[in-house]
Amino acid sequence: MGRPRTAVFLCNCGPNIAGAIDLDIIAGQLASRQDVAVVERHALLCSPDGQQFFRDTLQNRQVDNVVVVACSPKMHEKTFQDLAGEAGINIGHVQMANVREHCAWVTPDKATATAKAQLLINAAIRRSLISENLEQRSMEVNTDVLVIGGGLAGIEAALTAAAAGRKVTIVDREISLGGAVIKTEEVAPSLECAPCLLAPRLAAVRDNSNITVLTRAEVTEVRGFYGNFTVRVRRQARAIEPSCIGCEACFEVCPVTVPSRFHLGLGTHKAVYTLFPGSVPAAAAIDKSACRHFTDGTCNACVEACPFGAVNFDQPDDESEFAVGAIVVATGFSSWDPRSISALGYGTVPDVYTLPEFERLASSNGPTHSEIRLRDGRAPRSVAVVHCAGSLRPDAIPYCSRVCCLGALKVGELVRKQIPGATVTNIHHDLVLTTPREQAFYRRQAHEGTRFLACTDLAAVQVRTGDHGIRVEGPGFEPVEVDMVVLATGLQPAAGTRELAGLLNVELDADGFLKPDHAVLHCTGASLDGIYVAGCAAGPCDLPTAVTQGQAAVGDAISKLMPGRRINLEMMTSVIDADLCAGCRLCKAACPYKAVSFDRERKVCVVNEAICRGCGTCSAACPTGASKARHFTDAQIHAEIGGLLHG
Amino acid sequence: MAEFEPKIVAFVCNWCSYAGADKAGGQKLAYAAQVKLVRVMCSGRVDPLFVMDAFRQGADGVMVLGCHPGDCHYRAGNKKAQQRFRILSRMLPQFGIESDRFRLDWVAAGEAERFQTIANEMTDRVRALGPLRIRGYVAKEVA
Ligand SMILES: Cc1cc2nc3c(=O)[nH]c(=O)nc-3n(C[C@H](O)[C@H](O)[C@H](O)COP(=O)(O)OP(=O)(O)OC[C@H]3O[C@@H](n4cnc5c(N)ncnc54)[C@H](O)[C@@H]3O)c2cc1C
Repeated sequence: MGRPRTAVFLCNCGPNIAGAIDLDIIAGQLASRQDVAVVERHALLCSPDGQQFFRDTLQNRQVDNVVVVACSPKMHEKTFQDLAGEAGINIGHVQMANVREHCAWVTPDKATATAKAQLLINAAIRRSLISENLEQRSMEVNTDVLVIGGGLAGIEAALTAAAAGRKVTIVDREISLGGAVIKTEEVAPSLECAPCLLAPRLAAVRDNSNITVLTRAEVTEVRGFYGNFTVRVRRQARAIEPSCIGCEACFEVCPVTVPSRFHLGLGTHKAVYTLFPGSVPAAAAIDKSACRHFTDGTCNACVEACPFGAVNFDQPDDESEFAVGAIVVATGFSSWDPRSISALGYGTVPDVYTLPEFERLASSNGPTHSEIRLRDGRAPRSVAVVHCAGSLRPDAIPYCSRVCCLGALKVGELVRKQIPGATVTNIHHDLVLTTPREQAFYRRQAHEGTRFLACTDLAAVQVRTGDHGIRVEGPGFEPVEVDMVVLATGLQPAAGTRELAGLLNVELDADGFLKPDHAVLHCTGASLDGIYVAGCAAGPCDLPTAVTQGQAAVGDAISKLMPGRRINLEMMTSVIDADLCAGCRLCKAACPYKAVSFDRERKVCVVNEAICRGCGTCSAACPTGASKARHFTDAQIHAEIGGLLHG
Repeated sequence: MAEFEPKIVAFVCNWCSYAGADKAGGQKLAYAAQVKLVRVMCSGRVDPLFVMDAFRQGADGVMVLGCHPGDCHYRAGNKKAQQRFRILSRMLPQFGIESDRFRLDWVAAGEAERFQTIANEMTDRVRALGPLRIRGYVAKEVA
């Protein structure tokens, strides 16, 4: 084979290029080059006519390389690569010289622009002479989905995937599904009954044969990559078999009472418990740290009381491993703990509650069976709600959690419903109500009697015991004394989010939530292909957003992973030449995706090209030149540098 | 004699800085014509030898432009670029190249004006330093 034949296409781009660069001079020079076999010019190469001309020329003229002198590769590299592919030229042999954005449009003097264009074209030609084929490789995929977290975002994600016929596993570390929404009574602004909203969705999960629910469970290991993950899940024994229907017969006989996490410590449950009647799964679980069978072996009461023989103290913890194609992280949030700011009085002044605690008091599945009560059992006559408690300050939560205002407005609604004549005062600064419906909800609350006091600096608010109740004072408003204070605390990443992100090899944002792949175009994608994020795991959001994100994440995942269809892998990956590799592992340390591993037997590094995204950082780190970044090889870049500097 | 126009080679990442330069083009923000770009997928791809090669082949100044910290399309390639930049900046004077001839900076896809400013600033800075005159020496050390 002789020297590669290169074709250069010059695009006038209407007046855009031809008006600013003297293409006649350029064409003349190209014609005299030994390394250029074909020079063609077109008025508008990306037009239908231009594309046809481009393809036909390549088909007829038997060239090896193509240089398109036109616009940015970000505009039309793919267009011309595809056309060249149709003409039988591998896309690795298509180069663009960007003389429009980087020359014609930024160089007012025509002679100067022409000289610059010559160099840009020269660099592209030199680069093209040593270009190599790029192969499109593809891979079979697993189309099953793992959902981590069974709050509403995770539930809706699972139901969406299952509706498409996919097998779904939901892993939740609680003993049953539902997440935070089940701890509230009403969902603002529509004031839908939260348990009624959730019950049919839980039943749908339970009855769907495509969905497997693993509770009291956590993901302990994730291997592999997009389309081919292997996950390991550890499940703690609940000591109750699935034959349990949650009839509660054992609750009555269990002698041990423990503070309930579900009630946020405001109530108790027995050492054998469910979170709420009708939970999914229905089966109770035993708190082994409290149960007397496990602590001192003295009690068997539940075994005797159970009509189904479901208690099984010997049930082992189990670990399972299975394959999935995509993972949706829907691990929700945790609420900020106000103990760290003593001025808020939480933990020291009785009857100062957080908003989630207030929601528990107002919930029919709560510790007081929805009676809003003070610690001494009285109904409060006056309630103050402090907005932004701990939010928007560097020493606690630096951001706005967006949903606390909505939650804070519910207090008035719920108090007035139960306690006629009670007063509710919201002490606020900004009111973050982001939709017309939320604003209408606010106007209704104001109309129905919630008093709004604007504070000029919520960070300076003091909550302490006063003469006639709890005194709340701060800049910009007259102090109030009330029976009950509710702190509208913000939302933080769920406990364990950082560890989970580490397992999944995805990034977190500055506030510790999962970082989106793209903040606008792919906000339900996490920063690794095949891993998605929905609901509050991605940052504080309201329920409609959490639901939509759960559905959107799965919609994206299942439309990319279709049964029987292979997925295309990145073409411009890095590859390591085992003969040149010295086994130093600098590339392994440099790879942002953990795509490089060390083969202990051969003592060389190997790139997993299904994980590699083609950044080339490893190639820059390689001291021996063993690591090659496809399409951006050392040789190609050196050729380009030379081409730019010498005409 | 015409004023000295320094030749600047800028290695720009595909996702942010190349796009920023494209946007400068779209907005017709003229900048020094001797600034020429080499596209790489990530600023982390820039091998210090590319920088040395550019000096060796006649560049008077070299830039590496990437995504802003935290915005790297490949997570943290720009961080690697920054680490390498620090080392290389300290080594350049040993080759007789003023470290001011080498610049690392960040240009986001939307920052057309910033791209223009950086290109012109770098040109002014290198113009003040004058032509790079150590080609033979560098060639021996690097080639
Ligand atoms: C006080 C308060 C009031 C609110 N009021 C409203 C309202 O009126 N209207 C509205 O629209 N929104 C409201 N919200 C917001 C609403 O609660 C959230 O939008 C919603 O709960 C988010 O659902 P999610 O599924 O993302 O997370 P969650 O409901 O938090 O569910 C997360 C699930 O993941 C599980 N999990 C966490 N980590 C792991 C792990 N590592 N492994 C396995 N499982 C894990 C948890 O056990 C949980 O079941 C309110 C929020 C608060 C705090």
